[in-house]
Amino acid sequence: MLYRAEDLRRVHDSRTVLDIGRLAIEPHRIYTLIGPNGAGKTTLLKILAFLDRPTAGSLYFFGRRVEGGDKQLNELRRQVVLLDQNPIMFTGSVMKNVEFGLKVRRVPPAERRRRIGEALDLVGMTSFIDYNARGLSGGETKRVALARALVLQPEVLLCDEPTANVDNENQEIILGIIERINREHRTSIIFSTHYLSQGQRLAHHTLLLQHGTLSDGVSENIFRATITSRRGDSLTCQLTGQLTLTLPAPIFPTDVSVVKVHFDPAAILLNPDKGRADGNYLSGHVTGLEQDSGQIRLTVDVGVKLVQFLAMDRYRLERPSIGEKVRVFIPNSAIDCSRVSPF
Amino acid sequence: MDMLFDGVQSAILLLVSWDKDLVEIVMVSLRVSFFATLIAAIIGIPGGFLIAYSHFPGKRLVLTCLNTLLALPTVVIGLLVYSFISRRGILGPLGLLYTQTAIVIGQVILIVPVIMVMTIAAISRIDSRYRMTALTLGADRYQMAVVIMKEARYGILAAVIAAFGRVIAEIGISMMLGGNAKGFTRTMTTAMALEYDKGEFVLAVALGITLMIFAFAINLLFHLFQGRTVNDAV
Repeated sequence: MLYRAEDLRRVHDSRTVLDIGRLAIEPHRIYTLIGPNGAGKTTLLKILAFLDRPTAGSLYFFGRRVEGGDKQLNELRRQVVLLDQNPIMFTGSVMKNVEFGLKVRRVPPAERRRRIGEALDLVGMTSFIDYNARGLSGGETKRVALARALVLQPEVLLCDEPTANVDNENQEIILGIIERINREHRTSIIFSTHYLSQGQRLAHHTLLLQHGTLSDGVSENIFRATITSRRGDSLTCQLTGQLTLTLPAPIFPTDVSVVKVHFDPAAILLNPDKGRADGNYLSGHVTGLEQDSGQIRLTVDVGVKLVQFLAMDRYRLERPSIGEKVRVFIPNSAIDCSRVSPF
Repeated sequence: MDMLFDGVQSAILLLVSWDKDLVEIVMVSLRVSFFATLIAAIIGIPGGFLIAYSHFPGKRLVLTCLNTLLALPTVVIGLLVYSFISRRGILGPLGLLYTQTAIVIGQVILIVPVIMVMTIAAISRIDSRYRMTALTLGADRYQMAVVIMKEARYGILAAVIAAFGRVIAEIGISMMLGGNAKGFTRTMTTAMALEYDKGEFVLAVALGITLMIFAFAINLLFHLFQGRTVNDAV
């Protein structure tokens, strides 16, 4: 596992900006981090780049616990580069900027020149090598900053809103480079974005961050639930007023009546066998079908729009079509809830 | 008015002829001020950086104390250092009193707070993204500090120039710790005071003009350097 985090919290001025119970990120994949402004995306990226330390919790990088000592952090930072949302250029030429990371690593001058040439070529900025880095446009600055990161051949490239404040042409170039370096160099990439479509186009995995809390899945499967009654080990709750479910009580906090529930799209079953007691059976109509990272993303209207992921072989077996009536099963193990509200 | 006009006229003649006494005084002043500024910069710049970049209890108090020290009168520093280096002081056996070294010690105490406070201000103005960028590109703390210093170089240079201006123009420390010995510890300011006491204005005015020329030349160099670096492509 590339990153593993448990109970990660970051508190700024007594305000919790990040509160992640569990996070696991696989190597050599592209992850997109989606969430609104203030969701904690930049804070999480800074922690993953070892530039910020969590207030509590544990973080592992390639199975090794991040302790937070200066020496270890410096060693880890040399494997991970964060591309800032608004990158800043050091005083000097484009060449001097791209050279910086190689110089601090004491790479011999001949190799430096070769790698700088390759990196600038990759981002299409070779002709700018002797330009004053401060005189570049926003899109050019981002491309040079990308070259400055890629020249180091990092294990992980973290990009904070790589396409923000950039024209369409430069957006395409930047996204193309991200895709290419993952494909050719197997660089693990995590990038944040506001745009669900952009993230889903490129990424193998999508991470949704809202109010500092991470949900593995897409935003459609997060609902506000009102608990209407509690009875023994189970409780009844209404999802956005349209759907009633019976759920196991222990996973919900006892002191609240409104919670946020999330259904893991990968754990929901289509047309399941009958007779299971560890979940809820629901009926609805298929409203969406989409291919997503080698699997099928199916949207079923069961009173609320529920998203589930189907493996390709399961899809070939079931062949659901738009408008078709289907049954789904949400096992209790696919449900998690948090007290964060409103959302 | 005639006295001032005659004084200026004679002073210019003295400067043009590059009078031996005048050169000697100017050289003592420059030497003492240069070493005082150099030592204070070696102490003050890293000190200012450390204070600006570290978080510790009582940081605000330290900043308040440093700001207070900016107003420290030269006579107080003169007295303080005198108490240490006079024959009865604990450093008396070193025989530092009435030497250029004594002036340098006093002047370093005078300008270390100036350099520190201005360095802290210069570094605090630097965008925090420089630090983040340097670290994420693999710089260690020392290399990151070099990046920050480089980006804050104009502010830091301004601090050094202000400090140099402060010491070359001060009189209290030079007089009390140097003793105004001719050819040895006589600086431009102490010589001016002496000439004034004697009623000899020519050398005093000539030294005053020289002092202003130096101040002007240093500031001009600073602005030329700053302008060239900002305007140049690289």
